[in-house]
Amino acid sequence: MKITDASVRPYPAGDSSLARMAAEAAELGFDSIVAIGEGALPGRGPAVLRGAVIGAASHKEVIRQVREPAVRRADVVFVNAGDISFNRAVVSVKEVQVLRNIHTTRKNAFDHVAARSAAERGVAVDISMVPLIQYRGTKRQRALQRYEDILLLHRRYGFPLTISSGACSILEQRSVREIRGLCALFGMTGAEVSEALASVGRLIEPEQPVRVVG
Amino acid sequence: MKPRPPVMRTKRRYILARILPYGMVVDQKGVYLSVIEAATSLFGDAAVGLAQPAVVFCDGGYAVVRCRRGTEKEIATALATVTAFGDERAALRTVAVSGTIHALRRRIKPICPLSGAGEAKIGENCFTVYRYPRQKVDLVEKGIKHQKPLFFTEADLEER
Repeated sequence: MKITDASVRPYPAGDSSLARMAAEAAELGFDSIVAIGEGALPGRGPAVLRGAVIGAASHKEVIRQVREPAVRRADVVFVNAGDISFNRAVVSVKEVQVLRNIHTTRKNAFDHVAARSAAERGVAVDISMVPLIQYRGTKRQRALQRYEDILLLHRRYGFPLTISSGACSILEQRSVREIRGLCALFGMTGAEVSEALASVGRLIEPEQPVRVVG
Repeated sequence: MKPRPPVMRTKRRYILARILPYGMVVDQKGVYLSVIEAATSLFGDAAVGLAQPAVVFCDGGYAVVRCRRGTEKEIATALATVTAFGDERAALRTVAVSGTIHALRRRIKPICPLSGAGEAKIGENCFTVYRYPRQKVDLVEKGIKHQKPLFFTEADLEER
């Protein structure tokens, strides 16, 4: 079971290099991180996976973008969540693995229909720590409400969850214990946090039936 | 005034937190204000009032935060939401929780820059280089104010 931070944004998007973020992640208790954007992969330390984010306005645009070489090279493909019809459609795209930025959407943008589709196809929903750490006031309250709703759907339908720090800097990375504390704010149990942190490994190598060779 | 007998005193817990970035000079009051702001915005006045958080020590890149026993998890969570001291970006990383400051002092490992500070140029900006153990390199932009730090490793600097 690999504990993975599902998204970090190293230099030049942020102020910390990928190698430094990987070193910090190892000290904070992570086995691997998913780096979004370009950057040389460090030779040692925790495993660094390549992530690609698709920000599209329509389902068709997502299908066009997943065919691009940069996205095909990625280990984990994220799509920014949108409105209700977009989310329902995008969870059925085969190449999409994680639906992210769910806290920026409207209240019912990810509903029970999308949740059922996500569970059937093994598409995860990302829980970002950014709104819990960086935001204050009503913005954070809204994010907590959205996360609680996602957790309710996760418990009912069983689609995977991922947890990401969304860090652009080592100052924004948090330890596994701190993430447990932050997730407890919206009712996530320790076991659920552990499962969510380990789910990136299951997304990139899904469980398949045993194949007899030879 | 006669002191309260020990059994009637409030039980306390102490949280040791590391201050990031390394080498940041902060005063105790600045840390206290940031911790109180983070805790109050997360849990509200009532919960923070009962938790009684206070910064009792702040030196050498570490801070010790005191709170009532039973509220240490909430306060540690609030420490994770500290993003700045005043105008300067920073973070607090919880290292340990204990019932005595004496026990926490044993956990403090001073983080000092290694010798060999130099200069580096990245793009068009000049940076002062501070090297730390485990190949960590902090680059601080030269200037009077609003210097943007960069966090690299030795390998990153060699590549450039």
